[in-house]
This record gives sequence, structure tokens and C-alpha cells, in this order.
Amino acid sequence: MAQAPASASWEPLGETFYRKQDIYSMQWSISDLSDFIVAGAPWGGPLAMIRDDRKPVLLGRHAIGKPKISVYSSAGGLLQTISWDPPTRIVSLGWTHSESLVVLTQDGTYRLYSLSTGSAPPSYTQHSLGPDAQEAGVIEAKIYEEGMVALLGNLSFVEVKGWQKSSGEGGVGGKVTLLASAGLNEPPSCWCVIPPELSHTRGVEVLIGSGATVLRLDEIDVQDQRITRGPFLSITPSPNGRFLSLLSHPSGSSPQLWVTSADFTRSLSEFDLGGEGEVGAPGQVVWCGNNTVVVAWERTVVMVGPFGETLKYFYSDPVFLVGETDGTRIISNEACEFLQIVPQSSQDVFRPGSASPSAILFEAAELFEKRSPKADEYIRNIKTELVAAVDTCIDAAGRELEVVWQKKLLRAATFGKTFLDLYNPNDFVRMTQTLRVLNAARFYEIGIPLTYDQYQAHPPSHLIARLTSRSQHLLSLRISSFLSLSPAPVLKHWAQSRITTLTSTSTPSEEDSMCLSIVEKLKDQVDVSCADVAQTAWSVGQTGLATKLLDHEVRGEKQVPLLLSMKEDEVALRKAIESGDPNLVYTVLLHLKRSHALGDFFRYVDNKPDASSLLQVYAKENDVEMLRDFYYQDDRRKETACLALEESLGVEDVAERVAKVKAAAKSFGEDKDCSFEAKMIEDQLRLLTFQQSLEQEASGKTFIGLSVNDTIRACILAGLSKKADKVKSDFKVPDKRFWYIKLKSLITLRDWEGLEAFARSKKSPIGYEPWVEHLVSTGNHRQAVGFIARCETRNRVELYVRTGSGCWRGRSVLGRRRGGSCCDDLKSRAPNAIIAAQLDQLIGEMDQAGM
Amino acid sequence: MDSLPDATLFQLVSSSALQGLLDKIVGPKTLVLSPSLAGPLGLVTEVGLLKNQHGVTKMFWLEPGALSQAERNIVYLCRPEVKWMKMIAGQPNRVLPAPNAHMYHLLVVPRMTTLCTSTLSELGVLGSIDVQEFQLGLIPLEKDLLSLEYEDVYRKLFLEGDYAPVYDMGKALMTIQRAFGLIPRIIGKGDQAKRLTDLLHRLRKELPLASPSSTPLANGTIDSMIVLDRQADMVTPLCTQLTYEGLVDEVIGIRNSHVDVDPNLLNPAPAASTSTPSASNFAAVPKKKKHLLSSSDSLFSELRDKNFAVVGSILNRTARRLNDDYERRHQAKTPAELRQFVGQLGGLQNEHQSLRLHTGLTEQIMAVTATDEFNTALEVQQNLIAGVDLPAQENSIRDLINQEAPLRTVLRLLCLYSVISGGLKPKVMEEFKREILQTYGFHHVPLLLSLHSLSLLTRSTPQKSPFSLARKPLRLVVDDVDEQDPTDISYVFSGYAPLSVRLVQAAITPASGGAGNGARANGSGGGGGNGSQLNGWKAVEEVLRPLPGLTFEDWQKEDESPHSRPPAHHQVPTTIVCFLGGVTYAEIAALRFLNKQTPGRNLLIVTTSCVQGSSLLTSLQPEATRASA
Repeated sequence: MAQAPASASWEPLGETFYRKQDIYSMQWSISDLSDFIVAGAPWGGPLAMIRDDRKPVLLGRHAIGKPKISVYSSAGGLLQTISWDPPTRIVSLGWTHSESLVVLTQDGTYRLYSLSTGSAPPSYTQHSLGPDAQEAGVIEAKIYEEGMVALLGNLSFVEVKGWQKSSGEGGVGGKVTLLASAGLNEPPSCWCVIPPELSHTRGVEVLIGSGATVLRLDEIDVQDQRITRGPFLSITPSPNGRFLSLLSHPSGSSPQLWVTSADFTRSLSEFDLGGEGEVGAPGQVVWCGNNTVVVAWERTVVMVGPFGETLKYFYSDPVFLVGETDGTRIISNEACEFLQIVPQSSQDVFRPGSASPSAILFEAAELFEKRSPKADEYIRNIKTELVAAVDTCIDAAGRELEVVWQKKLLRAATFGKTFLDLYNPNDFVRMTQTLRVLNAARFYEIGIPLTYDQYQAHPPSHLIARLTSRSQHLLSLRISSFLSLSPAPVLKHWAQSRITTLTSTSTPSEEDSMCLSIVEKLKDQVDVSCADVAQTAWSVGQTGLATKLLDHEVRGEKQVPLLLSMKEDEVALRKAIESGDPNLVYTVLLHLKRSHALGDFFRYVDNKPDASSLLQVYAKENDVEMLRDFYYQDDRRKETACLALEESLGVEDVAERVAKVKAAAKSFGEDKDCSFEAKMIEDQLRLLTFQQSLEQEASGKTFIGLSVNDTIRACILAGLSKKADKVKSDFKVPDKRFWYIKLKSLITLRDWEGLEAFARSKKSPIGYEPWVEHLVSTGNHRQAVGFIARCETRNRVELYVRTGSGCWRGRSVLGRRRGGSCCDDLKSRAPNAIIAAQLDQLIGEMDQAGM
Repeated sequence: MDSLPDATLFQLVSSSALQGLLDKIVGPKTLVLSPSLAGPLGLVTEVGLLKNQHGVTKMFWLEPGALSQAERNIVYLCRPEVKWMKMIAGQPNRVLPAPNAHMYHLLVVPRMTTLCTSTLSELGVLGSIDVQEFQLGLIPLEKDLLSLEYEDVYRKLFLEGDYAPVYDMGKALMTIQRAFGLIPRIIGKGDQAKRLTDLLHRLRKELPLASPSSTPLANGTIDSMIVLDRQADMVTPLCTQLTYEGLVDEVIGIRNSHVDVDPNLLNPAPAASTSTPSASNFAAVPKKKKHLLSSSDSLFSELRDKNFAVVGSILNRTARRLNDDYERRHQAKTPAELRQFVGQLGGLQNEHQSLRLHTGLTEQIMAVTATDEFNTALEVQQNLIAGVDLPAQENSIRDLINQEAPLRTVLRLLCLYSVISGGLKPKVMEEFKREILQTYGFHHVPLLLSLHSLSLLTRSTPQKSPFSLARKPLRLVVDDVDEQDPTDISYVFSGYAPLSVRLVQAAITPASGGAGNGARANGSGGGGGNGSQLNGWKAVEEVLRPLPGLTFEDWQKEDESPHSRPPAHHQVPTTIVCFLGGVTYAEIAALRFLNKQTPGRNLLIVTTSCVQGSSLLTSLQPEATRASA
């Protein structure tokens, strides 16, 4: 089998090789690309086209009518047609990272169309660049993957940072920021954007060609780069942001291409484009990887190498270039080609005359296939470098677009592997896996010509998302399971797109079957929930289906908000309670409170004890007025009363306080279970009135708010002993309690005469021990001793000891005591050594007396 | 204890989560902290660390009014409560000279709520504050004790019906299950316990525990959980605790494992750990110092669970030993011996320090336990528990009111009386209520009503009280208690074995035992083979039913996934004992004792907070009336 060597299409440029490979022949029937404004998405993405209305129309070539945006895959397959209704002119087209199409119009609004195929109308979200843009209009915009910068009619620049959280689900657009003023007087001759992730400052930078120089603009500041080579026709940053290529066309000479470092400190190459291609300045300047620049006139493409070498390609029709990180896609009306530097590993294997181990390994494998014994000899020659050779072959396989070469290289690697005792096959396995994925994506019906490097630049989930958005659900699912990734995002998209196929007149049985089929698929998925899908159903007006789907949702926090927006308030509240999450109940309650009259709102929590409790907790802290209403409509008199009582505590003004307490008394009175409480509160009112009169009598003293006990105490302390007695009788204070209070108060007053008189007034109902105790604890031992004699006999000794008085008094009572053992006990607790000694003596005496 | 799940893991997770959140905020920051969060936060991270390594230059309490000065970044840290939101919203608008010069961040613990979001947005500051969640879940107080450290949970759960703590507990238990694997068996008592279990089932459906890649970090097997509502056993917290740590809590108060002590007791060496924000930055310099009580203090770990009766002798013994150790310096003759002695000196000084502290605390406690009031109350309590001569106890309580003993003491006894005897006669009840209202103030009417609706203070019913029904079968009252060398958990209350712990004991004791033998000495009953199944409520059904709340036994089934863990035969299984509404230190002591008696099983205590009777009662009062009680 004769086959041209892999290097047949290579062309040398300086010391290295470039190759231009046909990837697809286009499926479309476009005869002239120059009739269109084209926006190509990087990473092998789709192309969006709209007819360029500034150009005259050749009769019969295009259907007259509403403008429309056509989206094609790289293979020229039509993915989507968007008919453009708004009257405003489209200023820019571009692609986001997630392959949403950005359409910016003159009046400063932009739409994000998520890629969708099928019959459903394209879904989009619309956002605005803000009032400035609306007023001044938009001249031009540069759209990059994570945002865009627009030049407004008033010559200011605004930046849109990021798009939105996820494509297709409403939400807000990116954050719009006005950049610093560039101080322009006229529209710049050219400008470009260095995206934040590539710029030096990590913020977006705009380079503006202004006169002979270039201005560097960011959010805060504008800097003149002090260049004199202008005016420039275009500025193009390289994919890694470190270099710039600037195109100028000095009058009277041919166009010049200047490549410089991004900060203009190093000039890398200058190239005179005169005579290279067509007359005049080229229409496009695109980087091919990070080291060469491709310029294109309508029908000529010229690649300019780092040292001024060129490669030229001629086309019969206009072409369009899409820059990639590792090459350039050249789109013509017939084909999609890929121009790139030949990867190092491929060069190693295939460079004519290469004697590298990998080339020899490849050769050996070929010979082996031909059953030539030389194969063995070759292998033996490179025995020591075989591992590297195998690795290189694997790597080279990854970088070949054609399956034939991939296979050959992998076969060579397998062959080499068999000669190695220990070889870690992980790379090999991974590469074969990757190639299967890549080849599937490159298949012309899919049309994503992703290179190995481009694939590696993102996680595999990115590719799956792209395939999913092209409605390639089956392929996406297979790739997901092939790479052991979660199928959740694919399933979610699948379910959502299924729902959109439902017509508005769908019958309940259709809904049921669809609901069932969706729930069945989503059942075991962790990352995707029925609520997400229900959201879609709701947003396309399939309320019935949405409700059914939501019923299968297990996560309350997803379920409840949607139910609320569907106005299923009752269900939402029920589900929120079921979820066990009080926060969700509050979410519903707050929503209901805002959207309903108070009475209706309260009706929702009827017979729902959980919700009712939470409502009260909320109201107690935030809305006491509402709490009162709630208690009132629910006939909760007891709670109403307690509320009034609690409020009364904080009130300074006496009259108001009395009013609150009165209200409480009334509410208690209305509750038949609270008659006792009502009585008590009436007592409180009586006390308050009495206290008021006391305050008038004894000015400067505080009585209001005191308890009955404290009122008595305060009366005695203020010398109003009669009043104290009155309180006692008015409130039926038991004797015992009263005696304690009076006793303590008199001691506080150190009114010994009063104390004595009180003691004599009648027999103490509490005995006299408390007298002694309280006197001792306040340090009045001397007074205490006087009362000991009135105490119960059996307590006297201990009391004497506690007063610390001499034991001669003790002796007088001890005669009748039970014996010495109790004295021992006392001794051990004697407050000081003297008393202990005295007790000792006492015990001795008793022993002598034979007791 | 080896196979007890490693609780310190949670501390590590929490502290690195906080540091991560702070590190995300670039530049120096001012931390504004709600005071109630300081304690819990201090248990997971050190303030010094935040200052030195995470750019926190200043710290303030979150209070109404202006911040006097602040860095560019102001970081608020608080629980998701509306009052904090209002305070925070007040600050950006009117506080600093140039409000726009600051970046405002809010770290909500453990999560943001709709209420707070809507409050912030009503006050118009939501847009200018960057809100983050700091998921502080269970905090390890000890390696066998995890707590949410929430406040007033008892009131919220059982009086107000605010079940947010149950939800947060559910989330925290999910974290435990993610770390240590599914808990197959859950039994419980109480309505909130049931709610928690239902929630766990639901959360599991929402968030499957094991995504295919993750395997549990198991170094312990949790095979079961016992969930108890505080409401199921209110007798125990109403009783005055008699263990050392319990009494420290009753008399001095322990908050977030910290006790306020006289700085003299901590001198000369500075406190081992003071973990509230350093006082110097706050306006009021507290007189008392906060001291962390933890088992890192070996003397405390010896004392904490002992009955107070033996604390004196232990202190005495320790003092003697310490003295001997010091004396050894005289024996040191050679330089080598001397060096050895000096090497031990640091340890000796630490011990000395700790001895000084605990002697000081003991003195403070003794001052209280020596009072007539304390002893009367204790006598009433023990008689009530034993069911001896109830009318006489009524009189004693009356006397306490006459003598104006603190309201909490009176209410604890009265509630205890009501719960144990199954309610008070209407006339007696009204008399007591009147006495209380006259003595302590009429503003306590709502409190009394709350106690009624919590069934703590009720009118008598013809039925016998659940407690008296349980007294015999569960052997709640044990007469021959050896406090020195206890053989049964009843030592913690000098003769009363806490009902809650008896229930746990019955549940974990293998079936052969049965409830009546639950208290068998030396744990021979509990020594069943490793991995023996939990007995469950089987043996105590009769006793359990009349207690308030639902009774349930439940299973969580493993997914039929192939990667389920092989049963670890060599490991001693762990049972989580989860208290909703709080646990007392006495119960913790009893559970630890029970754990020692049960070599075939480990116990891990999980609670919403540590409580005692007075703190429970205080939480029922409106804030305005708390101080006066």
C-alpha cells in the first residue's frame, strides 16, 4: 500500500515545519464569504454569520427579507438560524466561553443565545450595557470568552465582566464597568482587548491606536505607550497575550507588519507586506499559535514567521480566519483547513531523514508489519532510548488529525512497548481514550475540529457541555460514561430540551408519560434535580408538568422557591414544613406576608403548628403588632395578656404601664382557664396604685414595680411601718413571710429597739433562731446573743458557738444537754482556738461531774 | 477509647474553614464579633492565631453604635439573628467618616437565612455587604463530648416550637455520618428526637452520603444513636448536681467550657488558655478571668466527674504528693539529680497552679454548700426523688419562699415536686403561685404559665407520674452509695441515678441483662461481646411510654452500593447519645462512668449545649426579667 509520507504536506519555515491540513469540505452552499459578517468561536467552535448589509446585494443571490443569523459548525453544517426581529442594527457578534452567541446591537443591548438545535425557537437572555450606552449608542465591541469591551458613541469604553452564571437560565448579565476615559476626540483607528486572564494587571486592558501612538487603557488609568510608528490599522494580541502584531499602512508605501512584546519594550520583527499578497492592506491579521502571524487579503493568505520568512496560500474565493491557541483555522466556501506548526513529536517521527529513536521505532514497526527481520535490529539499536521513543510515538499519535496516522503511531508504540519490561501504560491508555473522544467530536456531522492541545486546555466536561448544547445527548452520555464523568449535566439538558418539544396543547397523559420518563432517568443522579427541569417546564409555560416534576423533587430548597414563583403558596408552605428546614418555612412566610392581606396570611398557617410557632418566633422579634393581631384572630387571650405584661416591663411612664397591665388583666379575664392569673394581675394593679400613693407620700423613694415583699421592706426602711402592715393585710401576706421581711429590714436599719419591740410584739411564728442567724451573718454578734435565750433549748449551744460568745453562757444551758459527744462535735466546728479551748474545759468539767 | 471516632477532626475542620474564609479577604481586617459567639469560637480556634497569621488587626464586640476605628476590611461574625443584622446594618451608614472606604463582609454561623437576608435588604445594605457562611457545626468540648453550643435551646424547642436547632443538629450529624459512615440504628424518646430522625432520613435522600469516590474517614464505627429530648427527663436537670464539675457549673457557672475565676487563683502563671478576644481591645476589662476547663488539666480530669464529697480528700492527697515531689530537691545531691529535678519543675508548677485553682473553686463551692439554704434544698430534693414524705417537702419549700431564697432554687424544687408527684393539688398550686408572685414580683406570671405549658408545674392528675412509675424498674434510687469508690451511676446525685442515663444504660445493655439489672455492679452486665447489637427500648417499653414524647426505634439502611465498608470486627462500636435541649455535667459524668462499665461499647455524647436547672429556668424568662430572679 503506497501512501504519501505524513510529512508530504509539510512546508519548511525557518528551522521548523508548518502544515496545512484539510479538515472538512464544507456542507454549506455559500459562494462568497465576503458577503457576510462572520464570527468564529475558538476551540473548533461554530461560525455565526449575518449578511453584511453595507455591501450591495447581487440580485438573486440572497433572499430578501428579514435579516437572519445563521450558525454553522466548522464543517459547514447548519446548526441554528436566528431570525433577527429587532429593528436596531447589529454591531458585533461573538462567542462566549460556553459557546453562547453574543449579539450586540447599536442601542447597547446584547443578547446571549445559547446554542440550540431542533425545532424550538432559539432561547436567549437580553441584557443592557447600561444607560450610557443606550444614550450614546455603541460603535463597536470586542467580544472575548469571558466578557466584552464596547466602544460607545461618546468614545468611552465599557467592560462587561463575565456573562452570567449559566447559560440559558435567565439571571442577570455580566457586571458592567466603565473604564477610564481615554481622552479620545475621534474614533480610534483600531483597538483591541487583552482579556483579564492574559493581562499583566489581571484586569482587562484595552489598547487603542490613536494617531501615531497606542494608548493602554484599564479600569483606573490610561497610559500613552509613546510609539511613533502609527497610525495603525489593527492591533492583534497573541493567544498568550505576550505579543502584539500591529499593522500599519504608511501613505506612499506598502503595509507594514510589526510584531512586538505586549509592553512594547522589545520589537521582535518588522515585515514589509508589499508584494507579498494582493494590493492594499490585508483584511485580517490573526495569530497562528504564539509565534507566527497570518494575514489574509480576500483571496490570499500569507503566514509570516518570526524571522520574516513567509508561506503563501492562494484561494479562488474569499477566506475567513479563526485564530486558535495552536494554529489557525482557514475557512473558505469549500473547505475548512487547519494551519499549524508541526508539533515537536510529529517532527521527531516524521521529519525527512530523522534519526531520532521515535522515527526508528516507527520504522521498525512498519518493517515488522512487513515481516522484515530488520525490525528487530532497529529496535536493538535504540534499546536504551526505547521508553522515550514510545512516549514520543504516543504523543505524536495524539497530534495527528487523521485516523490512519493515529493508528500507525499507536501501533508503533505498542510494538515498542513489548520490548520493555516495565512500562507504565497509563499514558498509552489515556491517549487512546482521548483520541476516541476527539475523533468522535471531529466527525463531520458534529464538526468540532478540536486538537489535542485544545482539548487539554479544558476539562473534558467542557467538551461534553459543548456536545450537549448541540443536542448530541447520546454521544455526550457515552463520552461521559466512557470517561467516568457524571452524566447529570447531559441528562439535565436532555430533559430540558425534551420539555421544550411539548406543545402547549399537550394532554395530561402526555405530561404524565414525559414526567415519568424524565424522573426515571434523573432518579439516581446527585447533581441534577427535578426542580431544575421543572423550572424549565415552568418557564415555557408547562405549569402542569412543572408541578408534577416538582413533586418528585427531594430537595426542599430547590422545590419551595419555584413553587412560590408558580404561586402554589399552599403547597410551598406544606413542602417547606415537610423539609424540616425552618429557613424554608420563613422564606414562604415572608413571601406570603408580603403578598397577602394579614387575615389571608394568617389563614395559611392555620392547623400548621410548625409554621404557626415559627411565625410567632419571628413576630416576637420583628413585628409585635402583627403578633398581637395574630393572637387576636386566633383567640389566644392568654398569650395576648402575656405579651402585654412583657411590654409593660419596658415602659417608664407609670400611667402607660398601668394601662398595659390593665389590658393584660382584661385579656386574662376573657380566658376561662386564666381566672387565677386575672386575679393576680388585679392584685398587681392594686399594688401599683398603692405604690403610686406611697411615692407621693415618701418623696424621693421608689416603690413602683417592686414586689409585695419588697414593698413591705421599702416601707419599713422608709419608716412607714404602718403602711407595711397595711400591705400585709391587703395582700394577705402570711405571718411567717412578713416576720422574715420585717426582721431583716430592722436589722438593716440597725434599729435594735424596734427589733426588740418586734420580738416582744407576739410570739415569733418563725422562732427566734432566724433572729440570731441574721444578726450573726450581718456581724451583730452582740445583739444576737440576746435572742439566744428565746430559742429552742436544743439549738442554743450551737447558736452560742456561732455568736462566738463565751462558754459560761453555754454552761448554763448545757446542763440539760445530752452529753459530751455533742460538745466534741461543736468543738470541731469552733470558730477559733479560744472557744475550742473553752469547750475542752467544759467537757472536762462535765466528765468530772460524771455526766 | 482508641476506636472512639476522632472528634478533634471537627475542631480542625472548623478552624481551617474560618481561616480559609478570612484569608479570602485580602488585606488587614477588623473583626467584629457578636459576644455570644466568642465562647464557641474560642473553642475551635485561637485568637492569637487569627491575629498573627490571618491579618486580623483589631477586634471589637458587635454592639449598637459606632465603630471607633477600622481597617479597610470589616468582617462581622455572628449567628443568623435579626438583631445582629440590625446592628450591622446600622454601622455602615452612619459610623465611620468615610463609609465607602471600607469593604464589609459578613460571616454567618452556620448559615445565612432568609430572615436575615430580607432584614439586610429592607435596611438597604444587602448590596454593600459580602455575605459568607461559616459552617461551624459540632464543637468538640472533650473527645467524648460534642456540642453545638447553642443558647436557650430548651426554650426554643419545647416552649416556642422553633426547631432550627434540630435542623442544625441534623446537618451536623450528617457531617458525622459523612466522616464516620452511616449510623444504622437510631432509637429515641421525644417529639423533637423523632423530628431529628425524620430529618436525617430526609437529608440523606437529598444528599447521598457517599459519592462514589469518597470513603468514610473511619477510624471508629458508629453503629447506633440514642436521641433523647430534654423534655423526656426534666427531673435530672432540676436536681442540684453533686459532681465536682456539676457543682462548679451550679455555683460559679461554666460557659462554653470556660469558668470565670478570680485572677488571683490563676497567678502567677498566666492562664493556660484564655480564648476570648483579648480584653485589652474591649472597653470593659472584666475583673474575672476566663479559664478553660478541660481534661488537659490532669487534676481537673481526675476531679471533674467525682462526687463533691471526695473532692476534698483528692485535693488533700494531691497537695501532699506535690509537697513530697518538691521536697525531693533536698535529696538531689549530684548535679545530674538536680538537673533532673529542675526538669520536672515545670510540670510541678503546672500541677501546683492547677491545685491552687481547684482548691480555690472548692472553697467557693463549700461556702455555698455549707449554707442552710443549700442543705434544705438538697434535703427536699433527695426526699422528693425518693418519694419520701411529700407534704413535709411542701412545707420546706414554703419556708424557703418565706426566707426569700432565690427564685430559681424555689422553682427548681417546686417543678421537681410537680413532675415527680404528677402535679399539685389546685389549691396548693394557687397558694404557691401567689406566694411566688408576691415574693418575687408579679412579672413572673408569664414564667409560671410557661412552666405550666412545659408540664413542669401542673395540676395533679389521677394517674401516677411517669417518674414514680419508673423509679422501681429502673432503680433510680439507690440507697447504698459509695461516693469514694462508686459502683453505680447513682453516685453523681448521691443516691439518684439520672433517669436519662438509666434509659441509655438499658438501651445499650445486651438483651440478657434487662432493665432491672441495668445497674449491675462492675459492669459485668455490659461486658458483652464486641459488636453486640444494641438492645434498644425492648426492656424498658413500659417505663418509657408514659414519659412525654414519642418513643421510636428506627433503622437507616445502607445503600446497596458495592463499596460499603466491610464490618470492622476488631473495633469496639460507638453509640452516640444525643441530647436535644442540653445535657448536665452530672449526666455526662454518669455516662462516662457507664462507658467505663461497658467495655464492649463506646459512648459519644452529642448535645445542643451543656445546661443545668437554673439556666434552663432562666432561659424561659423574658430577657428583661432575667436579672431580677
